[in-house]
Amino acid sequence: MSDVIVAGVGLHPWGKFPEKSWVEMGADVALDAVSDAGMEWTDVEAMVSGAMQWGGSTGMRSGNTIAAALGETGVPIANINNACASGGSLMRAAYAMITSGMHDSVLVIGTDKSPKGYFPSVPVLADEPRPPVDMVRWQVGVPNPAYWALEMRKRMEAYGSTEEHLAQVKVKNSRHGSLNPYARYQKAFTLEQVLSSPMVCDPLRLLEICATSDGAAAVVLVSEKKARRLGVNPPVKVAACSLASGEFGDPTIRIPLLAATSDGAATAPLLSESRLAAQMAYEQAGLGPEDMDFVELPDNSSWHELQYLETMGFCGEGEAEKLLDAGETALGGRLPVCPSGGFSSFGEATMAQGILQIVEVTWQLRGTAGTRQVEGARKAITEVYGAQANNSACVLTT
Amino acid sequence: MKQTPVLEGAFVSDPEPVLVGSRCRSCETVAFPASFTCPNPRCARKDVVATSLSRTGRLASWTTVHFPPPPPFVAPDPFVPITVVEVEFVSEGIQVVGPLVGASAEGLRMGMAMETVVEVYYSDDSGEVIGWKFRPTEGDADE
Repeated sequence: MSDVIVAGVGLHPWGKFPEKSWVEMGADVALDAVSDAGMEWTDVEAMVSGAMQWGGSTGMRSGNTIAAALGETGVPIANINNACASGGSLMRAAYAMITSGMHDSVLVIGTDKSPKGYFPSVPVLADEPRPPVDMVRWQVGVPNPAYWALEMRKRMEAYGSTEEHLAQVKVKNSRHGSLNPYARYQKAFTLEQVLSSPMVCDPLRLLEICATSDGAAAVVLVSEKKARRLGVNPPVKVAACSLASGEFGDPTIRIPLLAATSDGAATAPLLSESRLAAQMAYEQAGLGPEDMDFVELPDNSSWHELQYLETMGFCGEGEAEKLLDAGETALGGRLPVCPSGGFSSFGEATMAQGILQIVEVTWQLRGTAGTRQVEGARKAITEVYGAQANNSACVLTT
Repeated sequence: MKQTPVLEGAFVSDPEPVLVGSRCRSCETVAFPASFTCPNPRCARKDVVATSLSRTGRLASWTTVHFPPPPPFVAPDPFVPITVVEVEFVSEGIQVVGPLVGASAEGLRMGMAMETVVEVYYSDDSGEVIGWKFRPTEGDADE
């Protein structure tokens, strides 16, 4: 089985770009990644691309749309949608194509433009026998952050977490984002500013929930053989790339569902898919959480950052706030969390956010992350969070 | 006025308002809304029947939504924040979300008993859309 190496990366600045189409953004990062790998567009052997629902039917086949723009070469193209876990799922697909020996180079593209505000439902067939649960949950009135707020309140009850903890996550991530020229928000917020931002779904405030952005990111993954031929230096290795889905009995009420079955007999943990994906990635890499120099986790909200520190095995249940309070999760701390600034600073672009994490880790492991560089970084793990329980984690090493 | 359920078969009002889900005849797993099959992967039988959930459950969590959700949510103008609660039906082993009624969020306490009621969600030209809501009640939740 060939090792998988990140040969090239490309990242578009994130924000709102009404004058530029998602196709142009995707084409830009694709060419940047190919060029960073020292390759030509015509050298790419296969492509995987995020199936972008907001782009309509051409968006759902974004890879073909971008290939048509840049020049069709007849390569296999797979378009995948796994909600916010799409980027990780694309990585996993490309990883499998290379480890299997099927291809020596695969271009991974995520490009997305998101509607403002709460993510709305996607239109569905009118003549289905029953309305889909995604329509019903909107009539009930449960936007995505409400699901996260319900979990956060339980956390506050169980562990004594406070509104200040939620705000401190944003303060930290905004400080990291202020050092990243690609981030949408490059402003370091104070605790007071975060705590005076409007309440959205209490206890989560506006500044503690990631915005919905336009963004794009791409990477070129290659086989060991191809990496040697290209002279990739330093070779950032994809030591693991997992994909997991939810387990029955998980008490998490998943977006966009209305209920969760979790009787006494069922033993699955909260966010079972995320815990599984992280465990599988550690196992595959032969490494553990204690080996990681930093982590890019899915800070879709401040609740996520606290919860994922536990879900990914960095501390026991109810202990994430202690790591935060001690400054261990900030740049310069023992385990910097989201040195990129995270989704908190970039906003969500669902097809691209998992790939954004891979780009950041690659720059960090190359030692080219500028003022937000994690000193001596050699190993890191990324994880995304996908609606309806799908999840992927990657371990990168150098 | 014509009344349409937000989800056909998901609740009844008579003789008392309760949610209706499905129960597996073999492993007893309860699902809401009702499923056509049993969601337990270790259950081989998959034979389900409609089942009424307990009238009352325990408050497991809540949040107040301060910005109006997008359509098909029908928001009054000006928007009045809504509180969404999560209620655990203990004997069925299931947690369900729904709108709070009959109390403000300030009066809520974890674990308090909540009863199911059926009320109007909103009205439009074609009539009223009705659905389940949860209301604090005296006493203990059904076990």
